Amino acid sequence: MAERKSIEETKTALHDVVREMYDRIVKGEPPTMTLPVRTKNNIGFDPKLGVYKYGKKQTIRDATSLGSAKQLLRALHVIEFIESMIDDGKSSTLREMYYISEGWGLGKFQSQNESNNLAEDLEIVTRCLREDFKLRPEEDGARMIGNLTLRERNRRGEWMRINARDDVGDSGYGVPYNVEAEKIEFLEHDINFIMAIETGGMFDRLVENGFDEDFNCALLHLKGQPARSTRRIMKRMSEEWDLPVVVFLDGDPWSFRIFASIAYGAIKTAHISEYLATPTSTYLGITADDILAYDLPSDDLSKKDIEALNAELSDPRFADGWWQEQINMMLEVGKKAEQQSLAKYGLDFVTETYLPEKLQQLGL
Amino acid sequence: MAANQKQVAISEFFEKNKHFLGFDTLNRALITAVKEAVDNALDACEEARILPDIVVKITKLDNKKDILQLEVEDNGPGIPRASIEKVFGQLLFGSRFHAIRQSRGQQGIGITGVVMYSQLTTGDPTHVESKIAKEATAVSVDIGLDTRKNKAIKSNQDRIDWGDKVHGLKVKTKMKAKYQRGRQSVWQYLRMTSIVNPHADILFIDPDGEKHHWQRVTERLPGRVEAIKPHPNGIELGQLQRLCSESSESRMTTFLRRTFSGVSGRAAKELCEVSELEEKLKPKSLTPQQVRALLEAFQGERLLKGKPVKLLNPPTSCLSPIEELLIKKGLSKTIDSKFVTTMTRAPSVTQGNPFQVEVGLIFGDGMAADKPVEILRFANRVPLMYQQGGCLLTKAIESVDWRQYGLDQAGGRGVPKGPAAILVHLASTNVQFTSEAKEALSDNETVMEEARKAMLEMGRGLRKHLEKQKKMGKTKEKFELINDIIPAIAEKSAALLELPVPDLAGSITKIMSAVIAETTTTWNKETKQTDVHITLYNYTSRARSYTMLVNWPERQGATMVGNELGGRKEAMGVWAWKLETLQPGSRTVITYSLDGLEKGDWNETDVFYRGSQEVIGATKMDEKLLEEIRRQEEALNAPPPDDKGDEDDSAEETSVPETVEVEPSAPTGDTKQTTLFGGDY
Repeated sequence: MAERKSIEETKTALHDVVREMYDRIVKGEPPTMTLPVRTKNNIGFDPKLGVYKYGKKQTIRDATSLGSAKQLLRALHVIEFIESMIDDGKSSTLREMYYISEGWGLGKFQSQNESNNLAEDLEIVTRCLREDFKLRPEEDGARMIGNLTLRERNRRGEWMRINARDDVGDSGYGVPYNVEAEKIEFLEHDINFIMAIETGGMFDRLVENGFDEDFNCALLHLKGQPARSTRRIMKRMSEEWDLPVVVFLDGDPWSFRIFASIAYGAIKTAHISEYLATPTSTYLGITADDILAYDLPSDDLSKKDIEALNAELSDPRFADGWWQEQINMMLEVGKKAEQQSLAKYGLDFVTETYLPEKLQQLGL
Repeated sequence: MAANQKQVAISEFFEKNKHFLGFDTLNRALITAVKEAVDNALDACEEARILPDIVVKITKLDNKKDILQLEVEDNGPGIPRASIEKVFGQLLFGSRFHAIRQSRGQQGIGITGVVMYSQLTTGDPTHVESKIAKEATAVSVDIGLDTRKNKAIKSNQDRIDWGDKVHGLKVKTKMKAKYQRGRQSVWQYLRMTSIVNPHADILFIDPDGEKHHWQRVTERLPGRVEAIKPHPNGIELGQLQRLCSESSESRMTTFLRRTFSGVSGRAAKELCEVSELEEKLKPKSLTPQQVRALLEAFQGERLLKGKPVKLLNPPTSCLSPIEELLIKKGLSKTIDSKFVTTMTRAPSVTQGNPFQVEVGLIFGDGMAADKPVEILRFANRVPLMYQQGGCLLTKAIESVDWRQYGLDQAGGRGVPKGPAAILVHLASTNVQFTSEAKEALSDNETVMEEARKAMLEMGRGLRKHLEKQKKMGKTKEKFELINDIIPAIAEKSAALLELPVPDLAGSITKIMSAVIAETTTTWNKETKQTDVHITLYNYTSRARSYTMLVNWPERQGATMVGNELGGRKEAMGVWAWKLETLQPGSRTVITYSLDGLEKGDWNETDVFYRGSQEVIGATKMDEKLLEEIRRQEEALNAPPPDDKGDEDDSAEETSVPETVEVEPSAPTGDTKQTTLFGGDY
């Protein structure tokens, strides 16, 4: 299990990466960096952790082509940069690192994506977290509303007690990028479950209709593909308070992927799945049969949608019978529907009819 | 009354035929006017063997009424005072309508049309100044038209001092016209003209006062073209009737031999025989039936022992191709891109008319990659700007599957897409147009086939270039890898670990595991030479030995200087160096310069090798090809076959293969087309 590493452990782990390159040159070979294959073909279920992790397949990035050689050089620059931040007690966003790389000459990044990927590569190889590297994401975390109390350490280092229903406005409690114990502690709650919601529109609808109070739950806005801190806070709340998580998304292939990353771990971050994924979460809707059962306004699947569904059929995370059935059904119907299409039956339909019915099916 | 009718007739004739006289729209009228004036200037300079300096200036006089003023000035021989009124004031004046040779002027009504258009739209005469070398002053005169008499009306005639200018012509005229930019514009016309007339210096001042200057890139004037006699295959009934009735010859056989090209003594007798004419008959006395019979014999409809009478091809000295090197220069100066390939086909004949196809292709940055290529069409060095789709030359381009040569083309048909421009030039004594507008060439299988062959050859040149580019790109990457990235990785990793920087030789050899040639060909501004550097690196773990070869423009008159490694001549245009054994990790540099060339003449050097291990950045020498080049060289250096003398007919017999029907000459004239790059099959 990925654990927080001490400064010394982090430095040693990074030096091992450098060492691999150096030793190869000394041996008269092209320098290399060894890392796991990061595709769906190399993720497997870890029964001990209940999540999907990278398998044994490794890829060796060697400096025989210009592209990979530049990656190695960039990795060295990033390592140097991380070391200097650790030594100076600073941190930076991934975006800042991308701009700082402007000064790295041949090792400079061509795109932000490249620098994000490389940070992940280093996490995987060193088994550290980017928090250990003093690198922060740009993405902002989710918002949350519900009767739960936590304390957060603010900029001045003081602990602030916050109730996520009484001490916040309509936009809810903003989840910070760091949700580890040194930053957030959970105090008490009066909720039965956590509901994660894909779109802001639906989140606001449930807030306005007072769904959190009527059903004793916390509402969490995912903002599309949830950020690492969003997945992490769900994981911590679910684990520390022993609460179920239900996930309420659009009914399309991309939502299925969002759910998989919440429940089983994302392919890109499979190295820290046990740290981010919440295996006990449940997919509430919109399901393929909801589209039919509730006769929801729908759109035809696009070519890309169909490709994504077909890819999901061979994704090990969707191997179970229920998912295979849902995916095949969506392919058969050829339709997808948004959460907000429920408004066809009026603004209260979702809180008064749809969600109660679905929650009842789940026994909540 | 009758005179009045005639006036109406000429104005009406002009009005009714505006579209094919080129004055149908206000934009086109201006282009036509520029075209008439510039074509005249170029033709006159060519005949007088003067390098043309042409200035074209357009000024807006009245925006609301679309009145423009056009001034065209040249440094040509000028027109003698007495001829000015004929040239500018009489429709269809000029000797070139009767001579059979390649000329620009076939393609318009002439400058008189401009004078007429100007007068019809503004009421004003055209101002002309002309100076010939042997007179001290220039003539200045205003020319108007008396449409009743098809005659010029002169006014304000005077003599003026031109200072230092020895000879030339200035024309200033007002007209109702519009100046537009774009593909059909005066600018495009002049730009295209400058491409195919690299010997001309053209300055254009547009209505906004902006100057566009296309400089002269060669001092060489186009070759002198000779007028030739008509060929029997290309003659029509009326023309034959006229030739017969105007002939003063006393015998048919002499008449046939002397009046036509391609008719030998024997052929003259046989033509008489098949058309049932007495040899001693006087041509003047032929009846219409007899003329018709002769025409049938000409066209191969009357047979002798089951075959048409054997005729020779007409001579091709009447053609003036631009030639490959000059097309290259013309294209390069107008379009700023790197790669140019050109192809001039050997002259061929269709229906008794000699013709020759030339093509050029320019490729590279600076042109849109996702748009159809620009097509530059020319007939006898005159740009064709309208009706692109219906033109034979466009169809020839469209008939080629350009995908195999590296351009995009949907379905392998149509105008290809890519950062390129394709030039096609047809030089012919008789250019056949689809219509009187003279903007598109009509279909002709023989011409089409020649144009296609030229395109294919050129396409192969493009493909080779692109393949080489790709290879060079890969080699460049490898060099960046070992020269920059690997050393940086070594230094950075050593610094982070606080260890000494390791030796890189082993890693580099493993990464490259190849022998690599790096070649640069650059123009040296100071020495006016083209410098060539070839560096051969051995990045393998074994010692290697090679002979390296290069191509160089020996035939174009270049000399090789500063070649310190010596080497030897392998064949015409091929030099070779046998190098000393190259140890692992070491390099050898070959340098030399080419003298006697101009900038842009030689941009790329092809490098070849003999040796067992592949050399990246060079091609393995094809010994068979080298043999072929040597053979051609011997053939070229061999003494020419006996020449029987200067008499037209016999000279033709030795230079033109005898064929019964006039066919496109098979690629016999293609000797020079086998080169190290072009002749791959």
